[in-house]
Amino acid sequence: MKIKNEDNICNDKVFSEIFKANSKTIYNYIYYKFGNEEKSYDAVQEAFVKLWENCAKVSPAKAKSYVYTVANNLYLNVIKAEKVRLKYADKTLKTTHETPEFLMEESEFKAKLDHALNNLPDNQRITFLLNRIDGKKYKEIAALEGVSVKAIEKRMHLALKSLREKIDGI
Amino acid sequence: MQENYLAKWLNNELSEAELEEFKNSDTYATYQQIIDASNALESPSFNTEEALAAVKNVHLFNDTKVVQLNPFKKFLSVAAAVAILLTGTYFYVNSLDEQISTQYAEKKEIVLPDNSEVVLNADSRLIYSNKNWNANRNISLEGEAFFKVAKGKRFTVATEAGEVAVLGTQFNVEDRKGFFEVTCFEGLVSVSFNGKETKLPAGSSFVAIDGQIVTDEKQNSIIPSWINAESTFKSIPLKFVLNEFQRQHNIIVETKNIDTNLLYTGSFSNTDANLALQSISTPSRIKFTLEGNKVLFYAEN
Repeated sequence: MKIKNEDNICNDKVFSEIFKANSKTIYNYIYYKFGNEEKSYDAVQEAFVKLWENCAKVSPAKAKSYVYTVANNLYLNVIKAEKVRLKYADKTLKTTHETPEFLMEESEFKAKLDHALNNLPDNQRITFLLNRIDGKKYKEIAALEGVSVKAIEKRMHLALKSLREKIDGI
Repeated sequence: MQENYLAKWLNNELSEAELEEFKNSDTYATYQQIIDASNALESPSFNTEEALAAVKNVHLFNDTKVVQLNPFKKFLSVAAAVAILLTGTYFYVNSLDEQISTQYAEKKEIVLPDNSEVVLNADSRLIYSNKNWNANRNISLEGEAFFKVAKGKRFTVATEAGEVAVLGTQFNVEDRKGFFEVTCFEGLVSVSFNGKETKLPAGSSFVAIDGQIVTDEKQNSIIPSWINAESTFKSIPLKFVLNEFQRQHNIIVETKNIDTNLLYTGSFSNTDANLALQSISTPSRIKFTLEGNKVLFYAEN
């Protein structure tokens, strides 16, 4: 007999909530790693289908790390990382009282940043982007990656440092 | 400056003094620029609702798959059970003796595994084993049958009264209550009766009535008359004749004031009951009345 519980992942509502809370982050996580949108989407699908199949065995508390592990293991050593292409939000364009020189410098800077990001080691890029784009705290990233908070701080520090060095052309 | 100060700076964990020192450094401007620019970064769009619907579709599909698989497994186990049962039954039935019997007024022709032929007269039973038939030709018989035996190993017909053994020939065996008759039509038949063996050449009969050997008569026909739907008797007590009539016509015979030990010689039809009744009653000078399924024989005064 299955445990008839509101906390059970087999319950459609509980499952949907877990999906809504985590799917976007998993998608981004895989994207920051491999730079492939299609593969990231597939990883989300795969991870949550597996979770559903094992819904009776996985407790809701473990569900998050379960789906991350599945998604993470899916492409382990299988696909080659591609260039991560990130967009810049249009909000800067609304304040167009900047001089053309400034705008040109800004777009030049963005191109440099893009290039620098792609040259970061995977784990530094993931940590940096999860923090900057997804607003994840160091503690959360540490839990996802299964490492200490200190290790994440180190990655963040190194990421920023090498980004600056790349941009400043040192 | 403490370890990983850049990470601490982003988390606002630097002390006043440290922050002052950092802001005064040459690199601060670029760091600030990186953070400003990265704050405007966006990841590729991801539609959560659509992705969730897709995952749910996969469950539905997977769920039905599971339902489809189960009956097939059940079907497999049932099929296996049936197959085992059938195989078992096949071997069991195969090892059973073959049994053939006839009712009143019925005749059957049987071909044995070695192409020997048997014609079974009314109210008779025949048992033989299909297994090892060619090495061991044994038949047990109750009633009357005509055998056309193919050449080969010893062919034995066992009855309650006696045993008949041959190599290849045509003969008739009749074993009724108190009446045992073997007639040989071709070849040589050996009859064991009460521990005594009698060799029966073609054209002769062996008859025993109530345990007594009665005659050793010459026979002219080449097959028993009952094969041609006629029952023939030669100096046989009337009671056996009447019993045979009852078997052939499925009519119950009753007698009144007649000596059924009187000998009867003659034949009657196995198809026409009225003709048969006359064939029996006229030579014996007795009368009969036929009522439905019963016939009463009574003495002529």
